[in-house]
Amino acid sequence: MAELADIANATIRQEIAEYLDRPVEIERNIALFARTRPLMQEIAVAVIEGDQVACDRLTRQALEEGVHALEIMDDGLIGGMGIVGIKFRENFIFVPEVLACARSMKAGMAHIEPILSAAGVEPVGTVVMGTVKGDLHDIGKNLCIMMLRGAGFSVIDLGVDTAPDQFIAAVEEHGAPLLGMSALLTTTMPNMGRTIEAFIDAGLRDDVKIMVGGAPVTQEFADDMGADGYGKDALACVALAKQLLGVAA
Amino acid sequence: MTASAPRPMTGRQRILAALRREPVDRTPVCNPTSVATVELMDLVDAPFPDANRNPELMARLAATGYTELGFDSVMPVFSIIQESSALGCKIQWEQKDNWPTVRMREPIWRDADDVRVPNDFLTHPDTRCVLDAIGILRRELGEEVAIIGKTMGPWSLGYHCFGVETFLLMSLDDPGRTKLCLDRLKEATIRFGLAQIEAGADALTLPDHATGDLVSGEYYERFLKDLHAEFAERLPIPLILHICGRTVDRMGYIAETGMAAFHFDSKNTPDESMEAVRDRIALVGNINNPETLYARDPEAVRAEVFKNLAAGVQLVGPECAIPLQTAIENLVEIPRAVREWHASHAHPHAG
Repeated sequence: MAELADIANATIRQEIAEYLDRPVEIERNIALFARTRPLMQEIAVAVIEGDQVACDRLTRQALEEGVHALEIMDDGLIGGMGIVGIKFRENFIFVPEVLACARSMKAGMAHIEPILSAAGVEPVGTVVMGTVKGDLHDIGKNLCIMMLRGAGFSVIDLGVDTAPDQFIAAVEEHGAPLLGMSALLTTTMPNMGRTIEAFIDAGLRDDVKIMVGGAPVTQEFADDMGADGYGKDALACVALAKQLLGVAA
Repeated sequence: MTASAPRPMTGRQRILAALRREPVDRTPVCNPTSVATVELMDLVDAPFPDANRNPELMARLAATGYTELGFDSVMPVFSIIQESSALGCKIQWEQKDNWPTVRMREPIWRDADDVRVPNDFLTHPDTRCVLDAIGILRRELGEEVAIIGKTMGPWSLGYHCFGVETFLLMSLDDPGRTKLCLDRLKEATIRFGLAQIEAGADALTLPDHATGDLVSGEYYERFLKDLHAEFAERLPIPLILHICGRTVDRMGYIAETGMAAFHFDSKNTPDESMEAVRDRIALVGNINNPETLYARDPEAVRAEVFKNLAAGVQLVGPECAIPLQTAIENLVEIPRAVREWHASHAHPHAG
């Protein structure tokens, strides 16, 4: 079994030692970074530190050196974002820092996505996401989207104030097996239930898993509405998405 | 705690004494944010969205907090959009069953140089409406009940005018420019606050959503603590700071601002919150909205009221603007439970 000392990059070692507490997460990250090449670890550090200039440069460098785009995405960008998500969940960092990390990842993905797309590489899964009708708040939803993309999902973002028929149309158009709905207002929470009812009425409920979240939403509320799952935060959203789609954690 | 009970107080006296942390005859029931509901709108024929834009309807709906619910205060500002509308933000006014919201995806500013409080800020229909409604409430309710106004803090206005993500990223990329934005935006907070005082407000809620759900406690100290202290100096009536979400990590800083009270969310327990502020600021709160007031029954409401009273929270009320579909029976349980608790506890609350 790999050990912390097997990781070449000192910053990665320090991040794991200082911020990770759960044995399964420590073990997973040590195993990941102990086997990745040093340049991938540097890319991960650029993501963790929210350094978009470095992430852009290092990703281009890696591609020029012949590293496969999929390896850069999995070992560098997604690897880094995994640590970001844990630090956010544990309140070591907050939304501004996560936004900066996601911006860095996006700078790297700008080089990676066209290559993967041209090669026909499939994402982990496709998720349709939106804030429900009558609600214009999107920071929570956007954080979930950043983390989902950071975990390799393809996300169709419908934005805010999304009507049930818009959710249905997007799920059908993209053949998405998973839908995520967000609400910040207690007045708009019931629109999650109305959207689920619309899927039932359209005969599509069995074709799609539905997850919900948002500050006032609870597991109990999600169960009452007939959702398939509830995510308390962005990292929980990713775990739930993987669980609902049967993807290995 | 005091040895002898003060003589019976009016709601206004009770609220103001508690905000000064002076003795009260019983713990006041306070709503620093909206208690408007669809039921109350129907009862007095003052529905949203009109009740957010017409001063007569705004005052009529606000008065129900006292006349129908039995709270010690009234709050005529049911949303957080009045100043942002006057600053030029686009508003989605919605219908009776939803709050109006700023269209933050259509930001009006990009940089500190764009920040400008318009000359007509206080005569804009959506700020004027609040001033007129406060005047109506003062005339109609007299000295019986405390009238609480609301002036938004610069951090919340920053979300509205720049967009949440843009504003938060700016705070990380360029703290100096962010502080400049806040310094320029504070004039909106002060001008609207002073105008409400002139119109007759007894106290002001100052929402400034530097919540633990978004930013760290260190952020609050770095960007907002001094500004909030300045508000406490320049707005000469009691200020009630409102921040949703988890805030116990910044309550120590908040307690040092000189504000009269902090309106806290149920994500923070009454006991840990009282411990965090250590009697340097009054606390208002913190009956849970979505799980208790909206979804449960009077028994559950009573239990939360008792929990706050037992912890020594100085003013009891909902944690934030209540869901519009909240049942009146749950809301009237708050003052009922407060009276019941005091009837069975010998010593009056010291506020």
